[in-house]
Amino acid sequence: MSACSVSRSRPSLARIIGLLAVFATLGLVWGASSAVSAKQEKKAEAVTCATCHAGVANSYLHAPMRHAMEPAEANPMLLQHTSLTTQLNGYTYSLQTREGKTTYTVSDASGSVSFPIHWVLGQHSQTYLLEKDGSFYETLVTYFPRDNVLAVTPGDQDLRPKSLHEAMGRKLSNWEVLGCFDCHSSGAVSGTHLNLDKIKLGIDCEHCHAGAQQHMADAVDDNFKTIPKSLKRMSTGDISNFCGQCHRTWETTVRNHWRGPAFVRFQPYRLQNSKCFAADDSRISCLACHNPHEPLNHDQAFYDKKCLACHAQMKVVSASHPSTTLPVAKTCPVAKDNCSTCHMPKVEIGGNHARFTDHQIRIVRPGESYPD
Amino acid sequence: MCAWKSNQPRQNSALLPRANAAKAGLSAFLLMIFCALCAQTQVAAGQSFEELTAQAAAARDQQNLPLAINLYSRAEQLKPDWQEGWWYLTLLQYSTNQFPGAIDAASHLLELAPHAVPAMALRGLSEFEVADYNASLRDLETAVDHGAANDSHNEQVIRYHLALDLCRAGRFQDALDQYKLLADNGFSSPEMLAGLGLAGMHLTSFPAEVAESDRGLYVAAGTAGSAFLAGSSQKADSLFQQLFTDHPSTARLHLFYGLLLFRHDPMLAADQFRLEVGVAPNSETALELLAYALVIAGDYQDALPAAQKAYAVAPDEETVQVALGRALGETGDLDRGIKMLEKVIAGDPDDLEAHIGLAALYGRAGRREDAYRERMLCLKIAP
Repeated sequence: MSACSVSRSRPSLARIIGLLAVFATLGLVWGASSAVSAKQEKKAEAVTCATCHAGVANSYLHAPMRHAMEPAEANPMLLQHTSLTTQLNGYTYSLQTREGKTTYTVSDASGSVSFPIHWVLGQHSQTYLLEKDGSFYETLVTYFPRDNVLAVTPGDQDLRPKSLHEAMGRKLSNWEVLGCFDCHSSGAVSGTHLNLDKIKLGIDCEHCHAGAQQHMADAVDDNFKTIPKSLKRMSTGDISNFCGQCHRTWETTVRNHWRGPAFVRFQPYRLQNSKCFAADDSRISCLACHNPHEPLNHDQAFYDKKCLACHAQMKVVSASHPSTTLPVAKTCPVAKDNCSTCHMPKVEIGGNHARFTDHQIRIVRPGESYPD
Repeated sequence: MCAWKSNQPRQNSALLPRANAAKAGLSAFLLMIFCALCAQTQVAAGQSFEELTAQAAAARDQQNLPLAINLYSRAEQLKPDWQEGWWYLTLLQYSTNQFPGAIDAASHLLELAPHAVPAMALRGLSEFEVADYNASLRDLETAVDHGAANDSHNEQVIRYHLALDLCRAGRFQDALDQYKLLADNGFSSPEMLAGLGLAGMHLTSFPAEVAESDRGLYVAAGTAGSAFLAGSSQKADSLFQQLFTDHPSTARLHLFYGLLLFRHDPMLAADQFRLEVGVAPNSETALELLAYALVIAGDYQDALPAAQKAYAVAPDEETVQVALGRALGETGDLDRGIKMLEKVIAGDPDDLEAHIGLAALYGRAGRREDAYRERMLCLKIAP
């Protein structure tokens, strides 16, 4: 699962260089960014994660996290939909893309304001960050691909702008800006500081696999003592907290008193609200259903298998410890497939232009309101 | 400390240039509100009462405040349930620094009209002036809860004094919350900056009470804190780093920065608390906050020794018990960790952090139903 931690075979330098030539040709030059010595850094320049972990690196190129922030100039959505317009709160919002450059314009009877789009958050539903006078603003409209519309940005539905300036976007605090860039890009945030000169769009290997840069530098010298911590060995509870650094942990959500359907997006929080969540059972971990290095799987049958790993009629044997029988949960009296369609219902967000799977697994009663 | 007075310079006069304007505006505003409250009051007045009230109003209009106070007092002797009279006695005596009289008049009014928020605010400010800080805190906090600071004319004076009261009571975080609200509107008074610096450094002194030689330090700390509270984290970081360079052995500076960082990034906060422990190794507060921040940040390996140190100096502190219990459990000693957190909850059933910790530790121990019950309890406890 880990791009940088599955390094059991120890490739020689010659092999590394050979592989490098292959991947340099493919243009797969992306990697990690922590501080290592200048000498090592120079050596490591010739090596990327893909040098040794070709399969996972190649797969990860198509994973959603890799595209958590997109370059506006090469954004497929903006290039496909060159003219998007909507009305909101008496203002007209438009996104116009010409020759690879996208302009965001807000107008009313008094005039208009326009900004170039540089920062695109999200691969499917997309919100944009604007820069003005040293501050960042979140656009009040978001693009929702399902309905191919611009509509109010989730969380901003109660804002009633009184001027073009306010209608342009919601001014973000420094901490919000740091949060945006920390979870949608790599290398830009250091403590309280934002350094956009070092930004790499999307989530790179080092973002999750801390120490990858050092590992690459050492690997060049056939030193494999500094392999990053394996995330595969983490407990289900720890994985939930790890993913929750961006997807929000249960603890963070509870401490901040975040309630309501808007927070259905925080999957670790919703999952841990489930009665069946068990911090010591890998069958309910984030990674049981989702491989972060791959595109999201939309096949219901794939997920049915995950449910049936617990809700089975026969004994379930641990894959890692065949002598261990795992606890078995009740079987569903209604159906044996498409489990998530009933037990993980979709919740409408974004002004009903997007649906999000509620990860709070449960028996849904007719007429029952969103459990909060 | 009175921000509304113009005829008596006081030690905290740095607040006055802005506050004098606020005073005039506030008086007019409170007057307007109170007149509206009293507009429907039916006064069954006798002739002499009417004469007195008319003369009092005229004296007030002519700015003859001593005479107005005298006339209102005499009118109240004739008709003690006349709310408007008590209001003017409160306002006029407060304005002329007759704070005991203002408190007495406001108290009469509040007996008649318990929800007269402007009177409660003025009584709180008057109590501050006579150094009855507990009463002042009670009144100002209640008044703010009921909207006394919602108007920009009042906000600065009321919130600032509430922040000072909170600081005196040792409720530093609550004081910082008030300064945060002030910072959102921007303030640059050295007096307020010093107040913020003192609150952030967990000192109960008022700006007027600190030695002149230390004043610059508190103003500088408040300036850095103000930048942070206003959302300029990078500017704040630069200012704090400069402070650390200029005052390398001064205690509580790292504590202040850590407290500000805590809500946004517990790990960065822990770094500051660790530096604070370096400057002040016996600081219970720093040890406690270091352990707690590391637990919240999920760094249990580092949290354990920090919590053990904190527990050694403050074993009865609930926060320390929670930190140690969680750290013990998360680093392998599940039995002791769970027992410690269960003990905390036995004494304080609504301790959210203890329940969060127990949910995690029960989960680690394979006690799934207990873990689920704790998670659901947390959702109920968290408002």
